[in-house]
Amino acid sequence: MATKIDVTNLPGPTPRMEAIKKRFINTTPEICVERAQLITESYKETEDLPTHLRRAKAFEKILNGMTVFIADDELIVGNQCTKPRSAPVYPEFSCKWLEAELDRLEKRAGDVFLISEEKKKILRDLFPYWDKKTSNELATSLMTDDALAAQGAGVFTVGNYYFNGVGHISVDYAKVLAQGLNGIIAEAKAELAKVDPTNPDDLKKMHFLHAVIISNEAVIAFARRFAAEADKLAASEKNGQRKAELQEISRICQKVPAQPASSFWEAVQSFWFIQLVLQLESNGHSISPMRFDQYMYPYLQMDKGITAEKAQELLDLLYIKFSEINKVRDEGSTKAFGGYPMFQNLIVGGVDSEGEDATNDLSFMCLQATANAKLYQPSISIRVHSNTPADLYRKAAEVSRVGLGMPAYYNDRFIIPALLSRGLTREDARDYGIIGCVEPQVAGKTEGWHDAAFFNMSKVLELALNDGVDALTGKQLGPKTGALDTFTSFDDVMKAYKTQMEYFVKLLVISDNAVDIAHGQRTPLPFLSSLVDDCMVKGKSLQEGGAHYNFTGPQGVGVGNVGDSLTALKKLVFEDKAITLAELKKGLATNFEGVDMESMRQMLLNRAPKYGNDNEYADTIAHEGALIYCREVEKYSNPRGGRFQPGLYPVSANVPLGTVVGASADGRKSGTPLADGVSPVSGVDQSGPTASVRSVARLDHVIASNGTLLNMKFHPNALKDDRGIQNLVGVTETFFNGGGTHIQYNVIARDTLLDAQQHPDNYQGMVVRVAGYSAFFTALDKAIQNDIIARTEQMF
Amino acid sequence: MSWTHEYLLYDPDAGNRPELTGLVSDFQRFSIHDGPGIRTIVFLKGCPLHCAWCANPESISPRPEIMLISHNCIGCGKCIDVCPAKCFGASDRIVCAIDRDSCLLPECGKCQRVCYANAVNISGRYLTVEEVMEVVMRDREFYDRTGGGITFSGGEPFAQPVFLLELARTAKVLKLHTAVETCGYVSWNIFNSVLEYLDIVLFDLKHMDPAMHLQGTGVDNQMILENAKRVDASGKPIRIRLPLIPGFNDSEENIRATAGFIASFSNLEALDILPYHRMGEPKWGQLHQDYKLHDVAPHGKDRVLELADIARSFGIEVTVGG
Ligand code: SF4
Ligand code: SF4
Repeated sequence: MATKIDVTNLPGPTPRMEAIKKRFINTTPEICVERAQLITESYKETEDLPTHLRRAKAFEKILNGMTVFIADDELIVGNQCTKPRSAPVYPEFSCKWLEAELDRLEKRAGDVFLISEEKKKILRDLFPYWDKKTSNELATSLMTDDALAAQGAGVFTVGNYYFNGVGHISVDYAKVLAQGLNGIIAEAKAELAKVDPTNPDDLKKMHFLHAVIISNEAVIAFARRFAAEADKLAASEKNGQRKAELQEISRICQKVPAQPASSFWEAVQSFWFIQLVLQLESNGHSISPMRFDQYMYPYLQMDKGITAEKAQELLDLLYIKFSEINKVRDEGSTKAFGGYPMFQNLIVGGVDSEGEDATNDLSFMCLQATANAKLYQPSISIRVHSNTPADLYRKAAEVSRVGLGMPAYYNDRFIIPALLSRGLTREDARDYGIIGCVEPQVAGKTEGWHDAAFFNMSKVLELALNDGVDALTGKQLGPKTGALDTFTSFDDVMKAYKTQMEYFVKLLVISDNAVDIAHGQRTPLPFLSSLVDDCMVKGKSLQEGGAHYNFTGPQGVGVGNVGDSLTALKKLVFEDKAITLAELKKGLATNFEGVDMESMRQMLLNRAPKYGNDNEYADTIAHEGALIYCREVEKYSNPRGGRFQPGLYPVSANVPLGTVVGASADGRKSGTPLADGVSPVSGVDQSGPTASVRSVARLDHVIASNGTLLNMKFHPNALKDDRGIQNLVGVTETFFNGGGTHIQYNVIARDTLLDAQQHPDNYQGMVVRVAGYSAFFTALDKAIQNDIIARTEQMF
Repeated sequence: MSWTHEYLLYDPDAGNRPELTGLVSDFQRFSIHDGPGIRTIVFLKGCPLHCAWCANPESISPRPEIMLISHNCIGCGKCIDVCPAKCFGASDRIVCAIDRDSCLLPECGKCQRVCYANAVNISGRYLTVEEVMEVVMRDREFYDRTGGGITFSGGEPFAQPVFLLELARTAKVLKLHTAVETCGYVSWNIFNSVLEYLDIVLFDLKHMDPAMHLQGTGVDNQMILENAKRVDASGKPIRIRLPLIPGFNDSEENIRATAGFIASFSNLEALDILPYHRMGEPKWGQLHQDYKLHDVAPHGKDRVLELADIARSFGIEVTVGG
């Protein structure tokens, strides 16, 4: 680097960046039909080809045929759709829901997309081609009836991958930067040379490797389309400075990602092309850059000409690019994934493969870019370990104070051992990053399937207390484990809960594996696979088990509710004998109607200890309730040769999953939201954040190695000065020392949120942390808004 | 209120135990504005002053008392049935009145036990030093990491001198950082006996003018001012706190007088200007007492900053909000 970077005084946003951001904010998301048109044409042309080649040809057709443009003043180029923030359509995964909801897209409560009648017609015309050809339809046919019934009743949902691509991946960006895609192609060719087509496995491998080569060449050609576009613009550009920029853009896009990068700008552009085309191929969210500060740093160091201002601006502009990526989800999913989230997680700091601190200048600059751009992408995170520099901690806390709910803090001291216990090597475990919301894995080697399902632990307890009968529909859904008033001890309750859990986790596994197999058969992703070890060597796509590490991670939701319900039962029914089982049964069945039942509900709410208040009695039971889920999940394997691993976080699924759970023994009324993540139930964490932190740390985070999540909401006052920052560090450190793995801080005052609900127009740009991610508050569904507001505010 | 589960129910016999007990009105864990770092505040009940703006009016009376949150009432009638003195009055089944003169507290407490909805609350628990410390010690790690500790507040902590002394002494044995928040209206002998166990004193100066002080708080300020000087002279760090009450002590004259008085202190850390807020108002209602500042609007931020600047011109450190 020519100039030394002062990490305590990094450059703020430039006028160029502000202008581009303004343009971004004023763009309303639309549906873009180009991709759907191109892939449908391609599929019609390739019906005779093997799946891998069909996929590669389709990818090639999309990249060759889609509109490319360079917007005014852009330095980092590459668009996903005809307009920024628009969402492409991926009919090969599923399209029936979109067909049914086309007219709702503009009218729904959250995550609105504009779409013209003309475009609707284009889609309606092409959808019939996909009938019975999607990965979704194959998955359904692979599932069992009882698994489908359990999904229908809301015991769990595998919806994300069932209807979409998997995403949730971090590729070997370092390799692309260092070798270029030419390097990947050379590797594929070398593998191809070893193939013996008389061996049936190798025959498949051959097609896969051909698909890899076609896809990689398509990406190179795609980048060069931008070079041509830049040339064209440069030719007519009057402003000399902009002309020079366009010429430089052209040179860079001609070079990367085909060849290795040799400057910071080249590296950022090369990275962006990869990040962009992965979206276009995969239809997944949570495609995460992970340890960007590590693999990008060499290019900053080698860049002799660049100033701190220029490097920061490139980063800031990249962050806007991250935010331009968008995805349309079905209306139901917008309730669980509200706010157009793409969960591209970028993490800084942490230890290197030797266990030493890996912080560098770029770690600070990445945090600064979040403060400069004030957008919800990428999801920025920081890894904390025993030797995290005080300055980096401080920088992170300063960014927390900005009020975007970012960064999220992750604990090396417990995540690394958790990953070791899942079979990662020490070097790989130390190199972990975060996928999406909170899921740890190592980049370029893992197909983690982290968002495999939301599993409704509260519903399982409801069934355990109701002889396996769904309280909302009256249907026998689970095994008959006895009516509530036949239990004679708390052990009986736990036994019933366990039996129901065993049954439903089995159905969950069947459902997940059905979806998994369907992706392998219908929607393998050759380009993505080529950037993850050991796909090329194995000659298998990522979707068929090509990755070095394979997992399936379903999330348990409602830890707090299960814990509080079991605690209330144990304490008030079996110990204090203040409530009889018959009374409780009646209360749950009637949703606590009538003054007597309401009085009992108040007792359940206020006279039993609650998880999250630093009460060991309640915390131990919550721990046990979660562990029963985790242990059950761990027993199973997926079709890619990997294991299931549990997580305990809900994104915002705690709201929709709550709607299908009847009244619960913690005093919760039927249909109301469940607790968020491993956070205490809203409103009962009255003993303040230190108590919540101590309680949550009592959960076994190591077993929930697919991630846990603790949301803390602070008044902005809390972080107003150096003392506030010191206190935030103190809370984080105490939590992490006690065994917590993840914590995040929301620092927007409750009144602000209420006002934003009333006057959304005044708060268009306001970002809040919803769960594992941040979103524009005003774009959220009212129910999620309410849930955010209800989380007990930690007043300072 | 934030009672842990163990102390959820009021126990009338708790004060009659052989061990020393004190009357605690509340704990607040994770306090960050009352002394350095993350702290736990122990609110001791009872205060010799009677300030109309008090944000913790339940800590004025030195006896346990009922706080009625009518909007929590579900109309179950259990409190009415159980009360031996027939204290409760209801309208439309919702309990809205209490005859406090007939109430048998500190004995009894039956109503609170049956009010599962937490409409009937009792402020005040008789706790031993050990019981207080058990709560406080839970956040030890937070204190150690942030330079925090325990803050005694109230009410007026010195109004329970023996209990406070024991708490402070025990806290020092446990190597906790200790702070006290006081109105200063206490005989110096008592103050001095506790002082050796305190690391910092947060000292309220509500008005420099004796007559105004008497009018606003019910007591004269002479002893208070004397004590402030003595604390400073003792060598302990002292922070002066000025709750800024519109129309009472927010004149430039009073700010100048306060700043002038403490400018010569040798151990002054800062003057904390605490802007008036109305968050205590609901509690006055729950005690069925008049909140006289109902119509008093909080200061605008600019005005507070102006006054802070005036104080700063005396060469002292000034914070807003503590
Ligand atoms: S016991 Fe509580 S809820 Fe019931 S009537 Fe009395 S005040 Fe109301
Ligand atoms: S404490 Fe006893 S006397 Fe007083 S109101 Fe409650 S029940 Fe009645």
